[in-house]
Amino acid sequence: MKTQIVLAGVGGQGILFASRIFSELGLKLGLNVLGSETHGMSQRGGSVAAHLKLGNFYGPIIRQGAADILYSFEEKETYKTLRFLKRGGICFANLEGLGRFDQKVLTHLKNKEIKFRAFDANREASAIGSVKSANIVLIGYSVGTSLVPFNRDDIRSVLEMVSRKEDLEMNMKAFEVGIRHGSTERI
Amino acid sequence: MGNVAIARGIVESGCHIVTSYPGTPSSEIIPAVVMFKEELDLKTYVEWSTNEKVAFDNALAACLTGKRAAVAMKQVGLNVASDSLMSSAYTGVVGGLVVISCDDPGPHSSQTEQDSRFYGMFAKIPVFDPSTPQEAKEMVRAAFELSEEFQIPVLLRPTIRVSHAKQNVRLLPPQVLERSAHFDKEPDRWAATPRYRLVLHTRLNDTLRKIQEKFEQDTRWNYEAISSRGASLGIITCSASFVALMDLFEEFGLKDAINVLKIGTPYPLPQKKIRDFTERHKKVLVIEETDRVIESQIVDKNKVLGRLTGHVPLQGELAPEVLYEILAKVLKELGIFTLKAISDPKLDKLVATLDLPIRKPTLCAGCPERAAFFAIKRAFPKAIYPSDIGCYTLGLNLGAVDTVLDMGAGITFASGFYQAYHQDDNDIPIIATMGDSTFYHSGTASLLNAVYNNARFILVILDNEITAMTGMQPTPGLGITADGSKGVEIPLEELLKGCGVKWVRTIDPYEVNGLIQILKEGREYTQKSDGGIAVIIARHPCLIRYPEVCQLYRVEVEITDECNGCMYCVDFFECPALRPNEKEEIVEIDRTLCIDCGVCILVCPRGAIVRKSEKGSG
Repeated sequence: MKTQIVLAGVGGQGILFASRIFSELGLKLGLNVLGSETHGMSQRGGSVAAHLKLGNFYGPIIRQGAADILYSFEEKETYKTLRFLKRGGICFANLEGLGRFDQKVLTHLKNKEIKFRAFDANREASAIGSVKSANIVLIGYSVGTSLVPFNRDDIRSVLEMVSRKEDLEMNMKAFEVGIRHGSTERI
Repeated sequence: MGNVAIARGIVESGCHIVTSYPGTPSSEIIPAVVMFKEELDLKTYVEWSTNEKVAFDNALAACLTGKRAAVAMKQVGLNVASDSLMSSAYTGVVGGLVVISCDDPGPHSSQTEQDSRFYGMFAKIPVFDPSTPQEAKEMVRAAFELSEEFQIPVLLRPTIRVSHAKQNVRLLPPQVLERSAHFDKEPDRWAATPRYRLVLHTRLNDTLRKIQEKFEQDTRWNYEAISSRGASLGIITCSASFVALMDLFEEFGLKDAINVLKIGTPYPLPQKKIRDFTERHKKVLVIEETDRVIESQIVDKNKVLGRLTGHVPLQGELAPEVLYEILAKVLKELGIFTLKAISDPKLDKLVATLDLPIRKPTLCAGCPERAAFFAIKRAFPKAIYPSDIGCYTLGLNLGAVDTVLDMGAGITFASGFYQAYHQDDNDIPIIATMGDSTFYHSGTASLLNAVYNNARFILVILDNEITAMTGMQPTPGLGITADGSKGVEIPLEELLKGCGVKWVRTIDPYEVNGLIQILKEGREYTQKSDGGIAVIIARHPCLIRYPEVCQLYRVEVEITDECNGCMYCVDFFECPALRPNEKEEIVEIDRTLCIDCGVCILVCPRGAIVRKSEKGSG
């Protein structure tokens, strides 16, 4: 398997944690893992992006137009990072609704055969009492849709490994909530 | 992460002493050494030094006793340590010394895009230039061995895409080197006078020739990664550019069209390898980050394309898409073949029309530094505000930072501005700001000079009791060392007294009105004939580092109907927790960000931000 994932959002949304989930997942699946993260100034509310390459690659940076999957945790960052997706790639965007998103951009993505899935992970995370878990809700959602090559049990065991003890229960809950929503939307 | 791999390399090499001053992208090395030290129960001495020169000298002295030492810093840190670096190349070392300087092409989090490898050339010490975390780890070991074989400091230069890259690496058990400190007095070396310096320089040049010869023979770091007979174009490359290029070659099937010579030791450059490779190709393209270190050293540039011929950008990071453009241009020029365009200008154009805001980094909600800047701005709206490097550089957003040059210049700029205006008998308020860690780093020398030369200004030391920007490293003010053990606490107040400052006040910046009052008193002191420099320590712990502190100060606020949407608080206080509502009519509080510091109560000109209980609702 060769999979390239971009994770985008703003400081405080748990992007580095999400990136950790996928790197541990890669190792669990016996794949080589390469990735890159932005640090420093971006931790003070600026844009944050993480790249992750699972499988045999040389370098950690994903070329624009080469990513298989984009997880975007914030609306405006979604626009800025869409250029990383390849033709036929898929975007999971944390959005209040698809109606808010620019229609011309959506049409353009359609022409590039890019699947675009909007899901209000913030709302679902708030509903279970932890808006900070929106990152895991969105990942759960993506797994629920079966559009990504990751399975539920693998990510559950990764979550068990990487979560802080006090967060584990909430993380599992967030993941399952995401899965539930993703799988009901399955076509 | 690359920096963790480097730390592992340090530990696996049996290194005894590790020193550093934090700075992106190098900051994670020391914590990772501490982690391995604890995990493997090692005796490694680890130190957060007060600045990079101090770090360098401590490591250097340690290796003169026969031990192995490593010193890590960011690239601009090497400027600070460069005095020592230059001299140490002459005197050499006994135990291995590896100098790690992390470069920041982009720049993502630095003042400059400088290429540390030039320091290797400048000082005449060998340079290792890794492409991946795995290679960086292996190079640390090789660098120690080279350093000991030739008794010379060795520079390891990872770029941010190595330091902050993630990769699964192969671990080796740590080497155990039982060495007790023994300093062999050799005054001709360690205290060489100019006469002996010439001897040392001659010896250094001789050493460099031998190292170059070794690099010529080496195939581990310098090798042809792609070597096919038919290719007419060759690429000489290194660092993160090498792996990014290899991914592109694989993706676009270019492996038959282009040969690649990977250089891991850019200085001294293995010239014969370069010559042989160049002779076998019609043209040779040099792709390296960040500047033209390899390219400049190539003697016969007849066939060479690169920065000197305008084929490679002179600034900015060589991201994969930038590399692709370079390749496309060169391949087309040489008539080898045409690469299809990979960019999506239509998407870029669509996104551009959306007029998305550039997301400026801001100080955290409740940050005490914001309160201090607000008070400064209110006390002296038209002062000159020299500042410095740290989170508080973001005082820019409040209009309370006018200059940021390098570590320590907050104070030197204040005294320089003062002298320039004072010469014209012009008395203007100058309010300098500097963080506690920066003050320990290089504030004292600047302040001594300012006091001695009778400069007059107000210095506000933003003391959040930590080095916050780079990831919460302890400061001497805290008295805790790199591995968490107890050090000796050096309070700012005592240090300031020692610098000859006679007027020092300490206040919690959350008390905005109190701080404004003190600023005004300080200004009066600077204007008195027997006055001087006024220093205010604005002390409040960093809320990220010490979240428990928030509980002590909780003042839950709410916004009343008095808010008329003037946006004064949004524009001039810029707390991320205060934001316009959807229709931009009034301001609302983002409860997920607000930490209940209550400082904004003092900010609203209409008094619309109030303590919740005041209305009896909370």
